[in-house]
Amino acid sequence: MLTHIEILSTLEMLKNEHLDVRTVTLGISLLDCASDEPQRFIDSMISRIGVVARDLVSVCDEVGIRYGIPIVNKRIAVSPIAVAACSRSPQEMVEVARAMDSAAKAVGVDFIGGFSALVEKGFTKGDRALIEAIPEALAATEHVCSSINAASTRAGINMDAVYLMGKTIKRTAELTGERDAIGCAKLCVFANIPEDVPFMAGAFLGVGEPQAVINVGVSGPGVVKKALDRAREANPRLDLGQLSEIIKHTAFKVTKVGELIGRRVAEGLGVPFGVVDLSLAPTPNVGDSVGEIFQSLGLGSIGVPGTTAALALINDAVKKGGAFASSYVGGLSGAFIPVSEDLNIAESARKGFLSIEKLEAMTSVCSLGLDMVALAGDTSAETLAAIIADEMAIGVINKKTTAARLIPVPGKKAGQKAHFGGLLGEATIMPAPGMDNSGEFIRLGGRIPAPIQSLTN
Amino acid sequence: MRKIIVSVLGHDRPGIIAAVSEVLFRNGCNIEDVSQTILQTEFAGVFIASCPDSLDIDQLGSSLRERLDPMDLSMLLRKMEAAGVWDPPPAEPFVITTMGPDRPGLVAGITGLLASFGVNISNLKAVFRGGINPDENTMIYEVDIPTSVDKTSFREALYGRGREMSLEVSLQHRDIFEAIHRV
Repeated sequence: MLTHIEILSTLEMLKNEHLDVRTVTLGISLLDCASDEPQRFIDSMISRIGVVARDLVSVCDEVGIRYGIPIVNKRIAVSPIAVAACSRSPQEMVEVARAMDSAAKAVGVDFIGGFSALVEKGFTKGDRALIEAIPEALAATEHVCSSINAASTRAGINMDAVYLMGKTIKRTAELTGERDAIGCAKLCVFANIPEDVPFMAGAFLGVGEPQAVINVGVSGPGVVKKALDRAREANPRLDLGQLSEIIKHTAFKVTKVGELIGRRVAEGLGVPFGVVDLSLAPTPNVGDSVGEIFQSLGLGSIGVPGTTAALALINDAVKKGGAFASSYVGGLSGAFIPVSEDLNIAESARKGFLSIEKLEAMTSVCSLGLDMVALAGDTSAETLAAIIADEMAIGVINKKTTAARLIPVPGKKAGQKAHFGGLLGEATIMPAPGMDNSGEFIRLGGRIPAPIQSLTN
Repeated sequence: MRKIIVSVLGHDRPGIIAAVSEVLFRNGCNIEDVSQTILQTEFAGVFIASCPDSLDIDQLGSSLRERLDPMDLSMLLRKMEAAGVWDPPPAEPFVITTMGPDRPGLVAGITGLLASFGVNISNLKAVFRGGINPDENTMIYEVDIPTSVDKTSFREALYGRGREMSLEVSLQHRDIFEAIHRV
């Protein structure tokens, strides 16, 4: 028998605290679609996605209604296209992206990830073709997301790839300049990318993954914030240790919901269940913000001194609660701090409390990195590459995932606003002090060797 | 072995369960299930007991009344019949919650609809303290919805009934509550 307190507190989480499942992502392998005929690959890919993902949206909606928990986003992640379509030319790669876009549209998902390459140690022919195709592919499509892994703890940092990505981001921004460089919002450069991320833009299906799999991203910033507020109101003397316990309990509940829903969707589709990604992912809705959690912990705003310590506490407590709730935890599993996608973080950036330097410091204790950071349109490819290189270094040395999703907005300067719309939100363009002083370093190229931390055997 | 069911109703106080169980024990009955609840000041208890074939049920009833009348407790004693009992169909457990301003007819309105779909209530907790505070005016039903019932039409009918009565209604599979609250 359930107690009425249990039932009413669950309803409260749903109604007022944005408890939901942030994304259910269906991984689909395309490795066996490989063909020396460009059109044959595209045809097999479209038919594979059509068959495997046909019922994804309807099953998600059905499960969501049955349990009363909305599944906000339904998405698809495919094998890295640089591997599955490795013999394609850059122009043919763009055609592959267009085909991915229409396949995604046909099954009703909002994003399809996997226009990706893993180049931490060097490039194959397919990797180069894919990266060359990225600007046009992202400009020509709505739903396609791209990710490039340019560094890992085991391989070091491929600085040639980092520089190439600086140029690629710049070109992507130019091609989508009319829409404030929205193409760059669908492009992420990673260090230590996990092969089972359900969140965009990094989602792809790794080569060690099954033929098809369901991975789930839980939600929860709103639930965590309200739990903290309630606890502090009931007992203003709670210390940070006790507040971390509250976050842990909340993460446990949120994760259990995510796994239950993910398993039911997987059953409904007849594919295995993979992992729950324990990331706190915000949306540009009031009450669904990671930034607000910092205020609930007593900081005036995210970005002020104390922010990194608070983030370390939040991130750790989320993992501890989540790891107890599910044995299959994966993906990124850490708090996201995407500047434009979180009203509170965007506001803090506008006020100047949150700088690139502070964001970079924060990424040493949480999962993603410089995420949805809008920069001035005249930021050079070398400066972009240098910012990425710094972010990669944090990931490589600390054996963790870091990433950069940088958006140099053509024609706009620091302090102006960039508008991306929908879930991507809007952001004030941040100043990047010391710009144009990194060119010589970046042009040296080569591979920064793997750190001593990589020798674990 | 025959089975009997005894229900007892009256103002709550210490010693009610003790009185009933003592009479049952003295008459050779073995209690199999007991459940009690208290609403405001009132006690209600139900006992199922097996009793020896030789037991005179009327005699047992007199003994119980003799013991409970001075306590001003009402008692009902019946033999449990195996025949004609409702056989539950295969079903799935859901939880229905309603919140909204109190007014006469809310329980009747919801339960009438549940009955018309053959939905059985396995547990119900309803509180109406009047006024418009939704937290003080809730109904929580744990129900078993037969698998043969079309969930979409049931859901629509339930939500429609809720709207007619200005109630905010939710219908969720029970597993979600278990997942969130139980380790």
